[in-house]
Amino acid sequence: MDIPAMRASFAKAAAHGDQVPLWFYSHLFLTHPETREMFPVSMATQRDRLFAALGEVMSRVDDLDALVPILQQLGRDHRKFGALAAHYPAVGASLLATLEHFDEEWDDELAASWTEAYGLIADVMIGAADEAADQPAWWEAEVVAHERRTLDVAVLQVRPRTPLGYLPGQAVSLEIDQRPRLWRWYSPANAPRPDGLLELHVKARDGGPVSSALVRLTRVGDVMRLGPPVGHLSLDTDSDRDLLLVAGGTGLAPLKALVDQVARHGPARRVDLFVGARTEDAFYDRADLHRLEQEHPWLTVTPAVSQEKGAPAEHGDIGDVVLRHGPWNSRDVYVAGNPAMIEDTVTRLVHSGVPMARIRTEVFAPSRPSPTLDGKVTE
Amino acid sequence: MTTSDTGSGYEAGPPTADDLRAVHFTPASMLHPGYTDREVDAVLARAADGLAQLTDENGRLARENVQLAEENARLRAQVQGLQEQVDAAAARPSPSDQAVGILATAQLTADEYVAEAEDFSRQMTSEARAQYEEQLTAAREKAGAIIQAAQEAGAAIRGNGIPVVSGGQPESEELQEQVAYLKAFSQACRVQLRSYLEALLSDVETEWGRAHPGALPTPPRGTRPQQLERGRPDVAFSANATADDTEPAGAVPASRSSS
Repeated sequence: MDIPAMRASFAKAAAHGDQVPLWFYSHLFLTHPETREMFPVSMATQRDRLFAALGEVMSRVDDLDALVPILQQLGRDHRKFGALAAHYPAVGASLLATLEHFDEEWDDELAASWTEAYGLIADVMIGAADEAADQPAWWEAEVVAHERRTLDVAVLQVRPRTPLGYLPGQAVSLEIDQRPRLWRWYSPANAPRPDGLLELHVKARDGGPVSSALVRLTRVGDVMRLGPPVGHLSLDTDSDRDLLLVAGGTGLAPLKALVDQVARHGPARRVDLFVGARTEDAFYDRADLHRLEQEHPWLTVTPAVSQEKGAPAEHGDIGDVVLRHGPWNSRDVYVAGNPAMIEDTVTRLVHSGVPMARIRTEVFAPSRPSPTLDGKVTE
Repeated sequence: MTTSDTGSGYEAGPPTADDLRAVHFTPASMLHPGYTDREVDAVLARAADGLAQLTDENGRLARENVQLAEENARLRAQVQGLQEQVDAAAARPSPSDQAVGILATAQLTADEYVAEAEDFSRQMTSEARAQYEEQLTAAREKAGAIIQAAQEAGAAIRGNGIPVVSGGQPESEELQEQVAYLKAFSQACRVQLRSYLEALLSDVETEWGRAHPGALPTPPRGTRPQQLERGRPDVAFSANATADDTEPAGAVPASRSSS
């Protein structure tokens, strides 16, 4: 395998931008029409994703220790798309045809290198998928409750038909009948429960096909598909430090799951949860948080409103409000929300003396189609 | 008998090739040259048994071999079929660049439509939200103002009977207007009632004077202007006072006893 030569040929193709994945998928669908139905109607984001993934793989191809776990995760996750071992050679053939098409100096040696490399990648992915064969490729889950909490936020309770194991703070991808082949990531807002229910917090993004449908079209009794859980915002169980949780918007969901975990499994510790919103009306989960606060003396919930003055909640950016209640130097800190909110909060906390190593974050951004190769479910 | 060291002549089981090579038969006797027939028979019997056994074995193996060959051929065909499938899958005729180009264009068109639809939806929802938030803010401000005005009015009413409203708010202006109107109205009423009563009183006085001018006791007549003077602020009281004047002696004790 001549890795430098492969990198050079990949760079040549990459210079053609969107044309390359466009050509690749067209080639794939023409040679194997049966693969078309695994993809959404619009391939725009899909094309970006494929190339980003290939680029990541190429940049790590000489660091197998790092690459293999990533490929294994990809292989496991691709089961939910209906990817079978038989599809891998098809993809490989189209990939080679594409690279050849965009490389005028393509030769047999390069073809052999790429064939070998792709073979390795496919083997790892197929192997991981086979190992996960005792798990379902996806879980069907029925919507058992759907509450519109604000103009654009809904809280859903869904019940998987077979048990779905996950860690609090992790996310699962989901696909609904109204928006086929569009998988989006959502964090359950509870730790696994004996009745198997998952609580999902969904904010309808303007123009977001899946989130809007989940908020406005989904009804009790609808069945959705859930993919295997991934994510890194899980509670550090080796630590028994008190917790500081800072949530913006629906970033509340994974943090509420951590609260639930402490409540169910301990270890006992103090938990301060700050919830930020633009306006007083945007606190979509106020009643349930209030209930939790009543039930658990170790939990303190502080809402903060950034734009509306004169509200009963504290006024100010969430990061600012958090610092006013500090110091937090002895806490494990978890922050989830939009990128600006996270950056601001983390900067302030680090500035105030919280070690960076004790801060974990989860970015909630519009359209989170898939995890990165590092396994992060958000950009 | 002198045979091989193994003495194979009498042993059971099929003779090995070495056994046979090592066989020595004992000369029978001087009279009968040759081998002892018993020993020869025994070896032959063993050899025959062994041969039969080997023949059987060979037949069985041959049959097995045929079966295996058949099995092998079947598997080979299967593998070939699979290989053909795999080859067909891997080396499906590569589509022409033209075909790829046409599909790519179609895909781009579809992508554009979807993007446009999403964009349209984005615009609609964000406009609707902006409108909603605007209306909500306006409604909230209006409600806030009304509540404030009401609170001020309430405070003023609690403070003293006459609302002293600081100007500026539309509601307080309205209140002020209403208060002024009520003041004017009460003044007008007061004036009208007063003139009516005065006229009535003078009428009564006239009629009463006409009816029994001589029977009128002097003291009440003298006190009437004073009573009227006191009664003026309260219309009802002065009316009663005038009525009382008709029966001054009887009315006073009666009202005392009833009180």
